[in-house]
Parts: sequence; C-alpha cells; structure tokens
Amino acid sequence: MDSKFFKLLLLGGAVRFYFCRTPLAPMIGNRVEFATPLNSHKRMQEGIFLLQSGIDPYLGDLVHESPLILSALSGLFKNYPQFLAMFYIILDVLTAALLYAMSHRFVQQKQDQQKVERKEYAKDTAELQFNSLDKLDIPELVIVAYLFNPLTVMNCIGMTSTVLSNLFLAFFFYCLVKRLLLPSLLVLAFETVRSFYPIVLIAPLLLIFSRNSIKRGVVISLLFAVCCLGVAVANYFVLNSWNFLDGTLGFIFYFRDLQPNIGLFWYFFTEMFEHFRTMFLITFQLNATVLYLVPLTIKLRKEPLLLATVLVALMAVFRAYPSLGDVGFYLALLPLWKRCWKFMSHGFVVFTFFLVTLSMMGALWHLWIYAGSANANFYFGATLAFSTGQIFLITDLLFAHVKREFCLFNGQKILIDGEEARIVLK
Amino acid sequence: MFPRAFVLLLLVAFNAGSPLGRDDERFHEELVVRPLSGDHVNTYFQFTTRWHYGEKDNLYHTQLTPRVIAELLQQFAVKELHIGLTQGLWRYETWGYPIVEATSGAEMWAWFSGFNLTNDEVDRQWKELANVFSGVLCASLNFVDNTNSIAPRHLIRPQFMPANGRKFVRYSTLPREIVCTENLTPWKKLLPCGSASGFASLLNSGHVHNTKYHSLGLKVRVLCEDHDEDNCIVELTQTANLVYDLRLFELSNNDFSLRRLFGMGLNGFCELAQSSKIYVQRNEQGERFQLVPAPMHEVKSTRGGHTVVYSVYDMHEQFKDAGERLFNVAWLSPKSENRRRNLAKPVMPPVTVHRYLLGHGQERGRIVTEVTNSHYDALPIMVQEVIPWYVHAYLHTLSIRRKPHRLNEYGRQRLPFKLLHYTPGKQRELPSHLEIGFMLPGQTSALITIDVDYLLLKWLEYPPDANHGHYIGAAIVSSQLPMGRNYTALPAEGHLFEHSFNATRPSYVLSLHTEALIVSLPTPDFSMPYNVICLACTVVALAFGPIHSVATKMIIVGRQTSAPKNFVKKIFCKIFRRGKAAEGAGETEGAPTSGATEFASTRAAARPAGGPSGDQPLLEDLDEEEEEQD
Repeated sequence: MDSKFFKLLLLGGAVRFYFCRTPLAPMIGNRVEFATPLNSHKRMQEGIFLLQSGIDPYLGDLVHESPLILSALSGLFKNYPQFLAMFYIILDVLTAALLYAMSHRFVQQKQDQQKVERKEYAKDTAELQFNSLDKLDIPELVIVAYLFNPLTVMNCIGMTSTVLSNLFLAFFFYCLVKRLLLPSLLVLAFETVRSFYPIVLIAPLLLIFSRNSIKRGVVISLLFAVCCLGVAVANYFVLNSWNFLDGTLGFIFYFRDLQPNIGLFWYFFTEMFEHFRTMFLITFQLNATVLYLVPLTIKLRKEPLLLATVLVALMAVFRAYPSLGDVGFYLALLPLWKRCWKFMSHGFVVFTFFLVTLSMMGALWHLWIYAGSANANFYFGATLAFSTGQIFLITDLLFAHVKREFCLFNGQKILIDGEEARIVLK
Repeated sequence: MFPRAFVLLLLVAFNAGSPLGRDDERFHEELVVRPLSGDHVNTYFQFTTRWHYGEKDNLYHTQLTPRVIAELLQQFAVKELHIGLTQGLWRYETWGYPIVEATSGAEMWAWFSGFNLTNDEVDRQWKELANVFSGVLCASLNFVDNTNSIAPRHLIRPQFMPANGRKFVRYSTLPREIVCTENLTPWKKLLPCGSASGFASLLNSGHVHNTKYHSLGLKVRVLCEDHDEDNCIVELTQTANLVYDLRLFELSNNDFSLRRLFGMGLNGFCELAQSSKIYVQRNEQGERFQLVPAPMHEVKSTRGGHTVVYSVYDMHEQFKDAGERLFNVAWLSPKSENRRRNLAKPVMPPVTVHRYLLGHGQERGRIVTEVTNSHYDALPIMVQEVIPWYVHAYLHTLSIRRKPHRLNEYGRQRLPFKLLHYTPGKQRELPSHLEIGFMLPGQTSALITIDVDYLLLKWLEYPPDANHGHYIGAAIVSSQLPMGRNYTALPAEGHLFEHSFNATRPSYVLSLHTEALIVSLPTPDFSMPYNVICLACTVVALAFGPIHSVATKMIIVGRQTSAPKNFVKKIFCKIFRRGKAAEGAGETEGAPTSGATEFASTRAAARPAGGPSGDQPLLEDLDEEEEEQD
C-alpha cells in the first residue's frame, strides 16, 4: 500500500468522474452491451419507484434486482439522486482496492509456495517463477487493468448494477485469498441468489477451505446452502412475498427477455423452434454452470484462484445476460497469471478480436435499429465473434497454465535425440 | 372522484320509456342524421330491443331478442357487454362528440356479477364470451385473452342493475382488427327484421364501408330489481355510426339525400318495431339545409344549457298508406350558401385528446397523450392506458406537464396526480395497465408522457408482415363536463335516442378515445433459424473442445516434426501427411511412447538450460494434432 496505489485510485476515480459528467454517460447507460435487463440502471430506478409506490416490482417483468438491494438503495435513489454517480464511482474504486489487496496477498502466497517447491523446479525456469518485483508489479497491473480498462470505466459511468456484482466478486476473491470462510460464503450466497451463475464459485471455495477433507467439504457445502436460504429469506421479508425468486432467478434461468446483448443466448432463443426451446435452455444453462465445473476443478485443484478466474470468465461468456462490465472484471484478473503470459500465444488474435468486434457492435447496432439498413444477423455476428475471442482468451490461459506447470518442473528446453521436442496434449 | 349518483339514476331506467309488462318484448329503430362541419354527415342507427323476461327460465324462449343474447345470460354471469367494431378515427375537433364512443379496431368490455364469482372464473368466462362473439360477429375477438385484457379500476363504470354487489370488469381492445362486410352481415342478422326491411335495409356494405368512419356497436345490459332475479329486463342496443364525406360523392354542390348516402331509399319500417323514427339535426351545421319532404314535427332539446333542434320523421305515419313505397329525404342547400359552407366554424369541444409517439429507432420511445381543456374552468380528467406486453413501460418516467393555451411550448410545470393505479405488465402474460386522474385547469393542455422500450420477440411471435409494426391500443380519456355543449351521448338510464332530449344532469360523463399507435419493434431475420442455431452451438463447441482436452489429456513430449519453412511446401506437406495418416497410424502410435520414455529420461537428466525462447510449441500445432487424431 504505497502512495502510488492511492494515486492510481484517485486517478481512476477522477477518470470516472470526468466521464460521468459527459453526454457519454447516459448513452452508455442505454447501450445494450452494458445495460442488460438484469443490470440496467433504468430498471433499478423503476424497481425502486415501484417499491416506494407500494407496488410489488416482481409482478411485472421489468425489475430483476434482488429486493434487498432495491430496499437498501431506495433511500439513496430517492433522496440523493445527484450523488448516485459518485456512489457508483466509490464502489468501483473500492472494487479496485479490493482487487489490489487480493493480488498483493496472492503473490505473497505464491512466493511462499515457491520457496517450498523451489528444489523441484527445473533450472532454466527463473522467468516462470514469481520474483520479488512481482509483489509490486502484479497488484499494480491488476489495479490498472481494472481502473483504466475502458470497459469497466464505461460500465461504471453507465451505473449498471454490474458495478455491485463486481464489488461482491472482488470481495469474494479477497476473502478466498485471505482465507476468510464465513464472509466469502455469505457474499457468494448473496451473489448466487442475486444472479444465479456465481454458484459455480463454490468449487474454488471448497478447494481452499476443505483442505482435502471430504467431511469438511460437506459441512461447507451445507453451510453455503444455509447461507443461500438465509439470503433468500432475508429477501422474502422485504416484500413478504416469494415473487422475487421468479423475478430474479427464474427470469435468468428461463431467459424470458430476448433483448440483444453480447452473449450467445439472445439470438439463439429468438430463432429457436418452440418445441426445442426447453432442451436448449437446459443445455445452455448447464453449459454456463456445471459443464466445465467438475473437469476444471479436478484439473486445477492445486490452483483454486485460477479456477475461480476461469469460472468467472466462462460465466461472463456463457451467462444468459452478460454485459461488458463482467468482461472488464475478469480481464482485470489476468495479470495475476503474468507468469503464464509467456505461453499465451493468442494475445494478438484476441486483442484484435476484441477491438474489431467491440467497435463493430456499435456501428452494426445503429445500422440495424436506427438506420434499418442492416438486420439482426449483423449484430449477432459481432457478438458471436466477440464470444469467440473471449473463448480463445480463456482456453489460451488454460493451455498456458498447463504448459507453465510442465515447464516449471521439466525445464523449458527438452531434447529428444538431440532434437528439440514439442509439448503435446494427448 | 366521480359521484356514483348515476347508479341511482339507473333505477329510473328500469321504468324509463314505455313501461314493460312481464314477458313484454319491444323493438325500436332510430336513425339520427347530423350534418357535421367540413362537408361531413354523421348518420347514426340505433336498434333497441328490450325484453322484460322475468324469470331466468324464460330465456330459453326468445321472440325478438336474438337467441345468442339470451343464452349469454344463461351461461355467463355477464351483466353488461359492449362490443365495438370500428374503422376510422372520430375527429373530435371538427365533428364534436359522437353519440357512442368507439376506438379503431375491435373493442370489448363486460361487467360480471354473481354469487361465488372468483377472479379466475371471470377470466375464464371472459375468454369464452369473447370466443362466442368472435363467432357471432365474425370478428377476431377470439384473440382476446389475459395477454391483452385488463380489469379497469376507475374509468369504466357499470350501467347495469343492481350494481351494488360484487362485480368484475374486463376490458380489451384489438387495434389491428379490420372491420368489413363479414362483420356487418352477422351484425344485421341479430336484428328482428334482419336486413330485409326497416332502417337496416339502408346498411348496404358497399356504402357503409365507403365511409370515412364506420363503427358497429353492440351493447347488452341487464336491469333487475334489487335482490329479485325474477324481475329482469335485458336490453340489447345495436348501433351503427357512420360518417360520410360528401366531397367523395363528387357533386357540384353538397346536397345529399338518404338515397345518395345509402344507395337506396327507405322501403318502410320493420313491422316488429314499436317505433321507427328518423331524427335530423336542424341547427348548427344542419341550419344551412332545407329538407325535402318537409318534416312532420320538430323537437327542441335543451340539455345542459345547449339547445339542439331535431326534425322528426315517423315511419309509422309515413307508411300509413299502403301505396307509399321508398321514402327518401333530401338535404338541399340554397345556392348562395354553398360559398360559405366552410366558413361555419365548428364549436371546439371542451375536451380533446391526441396521442403520438416520440423518438426514433426500434429500441425505445415515449408515448405521449395530450389532453386539451378549452373550457374556462378546471375539469377532472382520467386516463386509462393499456400498454401491450411487447412494450416495456417505465412508470418512474411518467409525468404530466401543463401548458396554458397562450403559450406555445410545454414548460417544466408538473401537474400532480390525484389518482394513480398501475399494474405492471409481464411478457407474454399481462399488459401494463395504467390509470391516472388529475385536475386539468381551464384553458390548459396536459402532456402525459411515459418512456417505453420495444422488445425483441421470438421469431414466431411476429405477425405476418412483421415490419408493418405492432399496435398499441387507444387510451381512454374520461372527464365530467358541467355543460352539455357538443354532448350527445345517451344518458345511462335511457335506452332510446329520444331519452337524451332535455336530459339535463348536474354533469355529463364524457369518455374519449385517442388514436391507436403503431410501434415498429426490432425484427430478427426470419429466414435463418438453422444457421443461428448452428453458429451459436459452434461457438459453444469452440470452448468445449479445448477445455475438454485440457482437462482430460496429459502432457507428453513428442518428436518435433521437421516442418518446412516454405509456406507452399508446408501446405503440400500437410496434404501429404493427411493422405498418409491412415497408413502411418502405427507410426504415430509409436512416437509418443518413445517420447514418454524420453520424457522420463529428460526429467532424470535435468539437462542444463538452453535458449529460453524460440522453441515454444505453438497452440496451433497442438490443435492440428488434435484434429488429426480426431
């Protein structure tokens, strides 16, 4: 925690503050790439307005925020609407600070682990190991990646509730690294009841806290279930009705709103044949949750944080209503794996994918919705390519990690019969 | 905010007009002709059947009342039913208020009342009722269901009796409905004389559908004595409201006649009718015409300080002599009047409404309803909006701004709500239902705005010609006028047009319909469901494949294939290799084993570090390897 850290935080806040006063802010708040039916600021306002007018917001299907959040923020929305932007900026900066603290601690743990394992490492692998500078570098990279990523900046000035999700996720990561069981369980349960997909993060949590004991794992799982139940009941008491469950979790699971977003769901289910709908709905939801959960958990059992990173990233690609705010969050976690970067060969491809598709999205959206000279396929193509880019990034990270692990113990240069060998997955 | 006094007035209705004895069934036909400003003529037909059916069992034996109406009361707990089938838009500013209100397309509302009636039961009956009349009137009323029906809270008031028990109301509009001949014919069949004789013979589809505005109406209500189910009257009112544009007749002057309007003269009266009368308005726009033949008598009606003069032709008297055939009335205007005909400015009605959409694009917009009060005093205004489920409305953006007439633009001044009722909509299930009430100061306009989002629907939910747009039904604006200017509606307790003569009341309930709107929702490409499914699944597979191989495969060090540097050779080599893949299977099987052994040895040897870079295995290579193995 040096002065640079505070300077960066201040600068990040200032950037957000500057942009939230420009006309860009309301525009971003209305963009489908940032504001989905789940997180849009306008719907939050509507929910709070309905709550204050004594109308159950979940009777309609405009509001999908959890009742606790609605009632917690209702005072702020009603009495101090002029400070709302400030509030979101503070939350976002807080997220960055949490990520910084988390990564700081994480690097330290890695270095401790290295000290124990050093003897087993191959000799030419110094550059694959965390060195003493990383303790400063990596947290700095993380915080810069979060604070100055245009995606997170725009997400913040658009005042989407993804800012809140990111804060909760950052807190969850922080608790994971700090080995704080109860807070991490609570925040995870809260996020799960709010937006369903974070349920997969129970896997890294179990890996860290169960410490290879099945009994402990079962107890933690039960504890998690109790926490979820507790959060749900707390939500119930806000309105004294269970309607919110269908309004939040049901809405996510059944994918009722086909508003375009950056994910794969919207056009797929727009064009879906009605009799296949249920099957594909289940398939896609499985794909977004449990499909990769078990294999990755087994593969990455020694790296729970990498597992968490990959799961958060996969969530951002495959969830029903993804937004660019989610993407910005997991991009900020990538510097944690700086020592894998050497093996990441798709960097340029992914960067180009991101750049091209993100800039195309705005143009194609305009052509489709306003100019009427393109149709939905164009925008769908852009979102599809964007998802592909993200998938390249995630799989690249996984491959890089596997190779780094291998090279760390076997050296980077392996000769077979005097020839250089290649590493193959078989 | 409106007094319920008129419910008491309904008691009068029970015995209004000629008293009905038990099992007495009466039929009346009326035709009102009102010249309107701007060379328009309003003709209004009203056919009223009243039957004092007494006991419910009598409903099995009908005489004048159509059987389907009687069965309705047997089957459903419906006490009052309104159906309107309309094409065109009533122009309040120039035509004044119509005798019956209707919105473009199909409109339907009904009151239900009965013992042990639940909300679900009413929903079920409402749907069945709509289906029954879909068949009776050949209209698409079968599309009426919960997704486009609401239960109005304040705006629609009952006109049946007794109205003091538990009652339910349902309201729905189908603005897309196109009204045509197929609706007129079955509608005429409900009349006792059919279209053979009487005023109904004037309603020929060729002429009716040439009008600028035509509206068919059907109203059924039950009037029972309090707590006495055995002493009931069923009243069926069928109305046809037409507005002709005289300019379309391509005449040199704007004289017209019944024959000109309907294609033929009147061939008599319906023999079953108790009364059969034509009313012709003589003052205001009617002043400039001379009637041929001269009317038999005139009626002067003063209502709420507003006087209207009607000439009356009684068909029973007209056709007294057996020799009379084909009665015609002609409206002749003196030559000198022709010039001035457009100078006679219509009197602006006290309340007028308009509605339109703001914004462009298929993403979001704003629905604007404008209510203008040109009366000098403040008027209570109520607005009911039904916003269909495919449009999301944001209640927090609802606002009423005001503008005094002397200003040109709406300022920031807000009008406070006196009343607000809102049920949020749900996609594919419920429409949003909004009712607001406020006091509109005199000589002021109010601008009611609400922001909406347009939704993307499933590809099969779009109607044919998806780019035509989706309709948002008209809003209903209701008010209470202190005076009778322009007001022509029948009083709630009356059932004949003549009951509106001299019917001065403390206030007059006015209800207006705004224009319906068309929004263009974003449309998907309807032609490529397969492609979309394939492409999206491919992207999922792109993630699944590599993650699957990372999770299941182990790392093995293999022999570096000496890949040629030259691009062409590379491709050649690839093709060659692929061809050899089958025969060389044994070889590739062997290689990794040797690699694995080598791997063990390298590990043991732990050779000194070589060059750190330049010999990285590329992921592309790995992918190729996988492909080959697959």
